[in-house]
Amino acid sequence: MTNALEAVGITKTFGAVRALTDGRLTVARGEIHALLGANGCGKSTLCKIVAGAVAPTGGTVRMAGADVRFRSPRDAERAGVALFYQELSLIPQLSVCENIFLGRELKNGPFADRKAMKHRANDLIALFDGVCGTGLNADAVVGDLPPDQRQIVEILKVFAQDAKVMIMDEATAALDGRQSQRFFEILKAKKAEGVSTIMISHRLDEVFAVCDRITVMRNGVTITEMDTASTTRETVVHDMVGDVRAAAEKVDFIAGRAPSLTVENAFSASIRGVSLVAYPGEILGLAGLQGQGQSALLKGLFGSDPFTAGSIGFANGAVQIRRPSDAVMNGFAYVSGDRGRDSAFQGRSIFENIVAALMVQKRLKIIWPSQLKPQVNKVAEDLKTKFAGLDMPIGTLSGGNQQKIFIARWLATAPKLLLLDDPTKGIDLGAKADLFALMRQQADAGATIIFYSSEDSEIIDYADRVLVFNGGRISAELKGTDMTSVNITRAAYGDAA
Amino acid sequence: MTMFHLARRQPWLITVLVFVILAIVNTILQPSFVDPTVMRSNLSTFLPLILVAIGQTYVILAGDIDLSVGSIVALVNVVTVTVITLLGGTLGAVFGGLAAGFCVGLLCGLINGFFISGLRFQPIVTTFATGIIFAGLAIWVLPQAGLPVPDAYWQTYTESLLGLPVVLLVLIFGAIFTLVVSRLPFHTRLIAVGGNRTGAFQSGLQLGGLRIGAYMISGAFASFAALCLTGETASGDPLLGASLALSSISAVVLGGTALAGGFGNATGSIVGALVLGMIGNVIFFAGLPFEYQTLVQGLIVLAALAGGVFVTRR
Repeated sequence: MTNALEAVGITKTFGAVRALTDGRLTVARGEIHALLGANGCGKSTLCKIVAGAVAPTGGTVRMAGADVRFRSPRDAERAGVALFYQELSLIPQLSVCENIFLGRELKNGPFADRKAMKHRANDLIALFDGVCGTGLNADAVVGDLPPDQRQIVEILKVFAQDAKVMIMDEATAALDGRQSQRFFEILKAKKAEGVSTIMISHRLDEVFAVCDRITVMRNGVTITEMDTASTTRETVVHDMVGDVRAAAEKVDFIAGRAPSLTVENAFSASIRGVSLVAYPGEILGLAGLQGQGQSALLKGLFGSDPFTAGSIGFANGAVQIRRPSDAVMNGFAYVSGDRGRDSAFQGRSIFENIVAALMVQKRLKIIWPSQLKPQVNKVAEDLKTKFAGLDMPIGTLSGGNQQKIFIARWLATAPKLLLLDDPTKGIDLGAKADLFALMRQQADAGATIIFYSSEDSEIIDYADRVLVFNGGRISAELKGTDMTSVNITRAAYGDAA
Repeated sequence: MTMFHLARRQPWLITVLVFVILAIVNTILQPSFVDPTVMRSNLSTFLPLILVAIGQTYVILAGDIDLSVGSIVALVNVVTVTVITLLGGTLGAVFGGLAAGFCVGLLCGLINGFFISGLRFQPIVTTFATGIIFAGLAIWVLPQAGLPVPDAYWQTYTESLLGLPVVLLVLIFGAIFTLVVSRLPFHTRLIAVGGNRTGAFQSGLQLGGLRIGAYMISGAFASFAALCLTGETASGDPLLGASLALSSISAVVLGGTALAGGFGNATGSIVGALVLGMIGNVIFFAGLPFEYQTLVQGLIVLAALAGGVFVTRR
């Protein structure tokens, strides 16, 4: 029997970065196939190549035995590959029906055949009958729907394409248990019709309950392909991790100390009931697959995406954080990994980029550069930042040095709680080591540090304790010798350690 | 469906209500308002703005804006009268002039769309700049107002055809156009482009083609407006239509289309343009000084924007 889809020897380089060195994926006709791996292992890139959204640097993709070369998502769609978009591709202003058929409208002559589309849309919605809640109908405006129903619409948009191969990248993330259950029932029914599904999921439970076969990737290479029936969770987790890393002996910070930060039952769009404590002098790591609530927690604490429910206590008192300025007044600092979007004042000088947070904290109305410059210079030099002068534009620095400047921005405010959101993204090894040394120095001075990293090795090497996130909740707390890559990966896929 | 929901989904219904009230007030102040000749003369005054507003709607729906429509009107006007004169003022020359004017309008839209969608220039600044260029070209083509068109042109425009005034036929054409377009997949796709550009791209839509298409419709309707104005003034004037750009945007907003794009329809803009025109009428016949007209128009557009914010906020 020929395979529905076959990708062999796929390579992809983005500039100097090799995202894929040997991607391989074989999906049989009428099969649900799980694609697993840690952050940055290349699974998303491989999916995008198969779906025509990214062009491969090398390698072959075959469908039903014939070589194919997709130049656009449209090409892939014509060949029968449909991709579920994790970042919603829905148009809030349009109705459910219009969204499902956007770009693929059924027509009656030159006109949109609204009646036929509505009929078809209602048939599709009926697939989720009884579990989708009220208010989901063909005429409902998507912007009015809650997140789970929006995700159902996104799923129906994929189903409406009648594809031969569907790629479901975290399609159940916003669904509740019954909705996910129904989703898998539908996939199984489609399987019987010969439709194949490639599934990326952060829940090993789901994978073992639903998938026929599993492909595991690591560092841009396909490591193993196996039948679900003849493997175990242990094997899968070990294949994802590779060399087992364990943390060195760590100081136990919890013994005899009062916590500086307590969060109780926090909720927001992407976190569902998170409670935690953090201690002064501690570096608390957040781990897990990307987008499981780690960034949302940090942004909630900083007020840039405030919690919708729950309470925050800091330094023995309850605090209200509704916007970043509240957080700054309480001595919180936030450094994002997405420097260009969240941190940099492009085209402005290094000096201006550093004093930005200080201005907010000290409520400065007028800045006298001559007074502040010696102070700023010292902070920047402490960080071993290489720059020609404080008046140079921020863009003249390398990524690593820019990140140091943004950390300097916050160090100038003498923060008591430092929130770092994947701060080492795209910076070189030397700068990384400097950053972690600096974090430790701040912690030793009494600050509380919470950092999320998409690389487990950073957490294992530098954090004192780790909270692993899965689906907006904390699935495990690991410390001491339990902080191993296997335990983190297992918890990242939803298995409690 | 409650009144609130209705107002949220179909905000232009409120504009229709305002229009009806204005019409009643106008009839009380000026009993001859319902007289066919007066109605025809009113309609021919409002028609250019109505047409420009129809075209502007599609651009705004896609999340863009067209500030050059007034200059396109001027350029089309002078090109039309110049071509008619050059071709000798015969009946054939009139048709040649109309065709030339229409093509110029389409071309202006294509140029706008090319810069904005093809080269990713900012819509506001780009159409402001092309507007200046089109206005400059208009003065270059016809430095001074003049060049009367053949009598047949303006006589046809002010007469009736098939028992209906030509101006009414043009309005009906505009209304039918908006209704037909609203049934096309093109309309939904434009809303998608204006509503969530990333989502529209991920859904496989050809963003470039759609946005250029919207600018070309805007150019085409600006040229219709110019041809109507030419029927009205019966000559060329390079300074025609200067206020049309901002008035048309006001009409679009009054018609219930979101200025940020992604919501609305062009049929509403027709009503919006009628309301703007009627305000002038009512103020004139109420005996108020002319300055009040702009004041009231400004306040009404502000109210429409406030209403839009109010109904979309949850």
